[in-house]
Amino acid sequence: MDSTALAFLAAGLGAGLSVIGAGLGIGKLAASALEAAGRQPEAAGKLQTMMIIAAALIEGVTLFAEVISFMLAMK
Amino acid sequence: MSTQKNINSQPENPINNHNELNMHSTHTDTTSAHTEAKHNAKEGNVITEMLNDHLLDHHGYNFYDVFHINLPVIIYDDALYTYPSIHSMEEAGIFKEVHHDIIRNDTGQAPKIDLSITALVMFQWIAMIIIFTSFFIIKKRYVRHPNKAPKGFQNFIELGIEMVRDRIVKVNIADDKLAEKLTPYFVFLWLFIFVLNFLGLVPGGHSATGNLAVTAGLSITAYFVINGSAILTKGIGHWIKEFTGGAPIGLWLIMIPIEILSMFTKPFALTVRLFANMTAGHVVILSLVGLIFIFKSFAVAPISVGFSLFINLLEVLVAMIQAYVFTMLTAVFVGLALGHGEEHETVH
Repeated sequence: MDSTALAFLAAGLGAGLSVIGAGLGIGKLAASALEAAGRQPEAAGKLQTMMIIAAALIEGVTLFAEVISFMLAMK
Repeated sequence: MSTQKNINSQPENPINNHNELNMHSTHTDTTSAHTEAKHNAKEGNVITEMLNDHLLDHHGYNFYDVFHINLPVIIYDDALYTYPSIHSMEEAGIFKEVHHDIIRNDTGQAPKIDLSITALVMFQWIAMIIIFTSFFIIKKRYVRHPNKAPKGFQNFIELGIEMVRDRIVKVNIADDKLAEKLTPYFVFLWLFIFVLNFLGLVPGGHSATGNLAVTAGLSITAYFVINGSAILTKGIGHWIKEFTGGAPIGLWLIMIPIEILSMFTKPFALTVRLFANMTAGHVVILSLVGLIFIFKSFAVAPISVGFSLFINLLEVLVAMIQAYVFTMLTAVFVGLALGHGEEHETVH
């Protein structure tokens, strides 16, 4: 394998690994938000807002990783 | 077409009348250049070319090769250079375009400042026109019937404004007077990102929010709003005191660098989040379409078309959520910059 092939491999692996992290994070977040909404349905609106903010923060970190992978693949 | 092309390709073309000549021939010239490039490129390169075509900014707007709009090129290097289109710039012979970048012919370097009206600038202006016209339409209604309940389009816009005011701004900014003052900014921010995101989903459209420069511009304004509102409402002393994070004096050595860094990472995260979210959708759709060309078979088409439709629908959702998230996070950061004050304690 030459260095270009390795870079593509790294890009693919990096994208996959960061998606695992994001999936776990957002999955856990959604699970607990739903549980909380189930226990206290009147707070569902507030919970949704907070859930979206937290999801955006998790997603933001993931997207940094994805952008790095993307740059590796495009070079 | 062929005669025009011949004229264009002659290097000793007189410089004086290149403008009119070029205005007529640009369309045919670009299409022929396009097809030539596609023929010369290898399989893998076609997809990369297509990706670049969709994701990068252009000095001209091309609608599926049906019509072409020339956009002015404005460059400042050692003097101000203005050209009506990218082709007249190449005709003039001082600058040339290589792989979507403008470089100077004699030095081979990029110009100092490029203030060209590009396709993405055009799309931002379209978004502004859409927003301003819709606001002027509803303003007329308010002036004519000030005491009547809103209806139709007016109702729709009012719903959006109230959503931003009550569910984004007032919830996150404890200071009511500041919240009222900042509501117009947040409404426009939300609408602007929303319209730009949706312009990217229209056939032939580019999403300006899928460009780092645009999202960085939005975040830099957000940075000034966040810190400016903190300074104006609480005073500069309080703003500086916030850098310690309310920690005891022994921890200041750690807290101050962290707080200063976090002041800059917030807008940076906003920039990359919006940019990456909007770009990711385009890349996924184009890659799915590109699968057909990689496998060179009709059998792949139903799968990739089906998946791209699914991703496109997901993009509608992402376009709305990202506009909401950008506005929401800016509001949250404004609220945070105001400090962990007494109001915060009493709310809980």
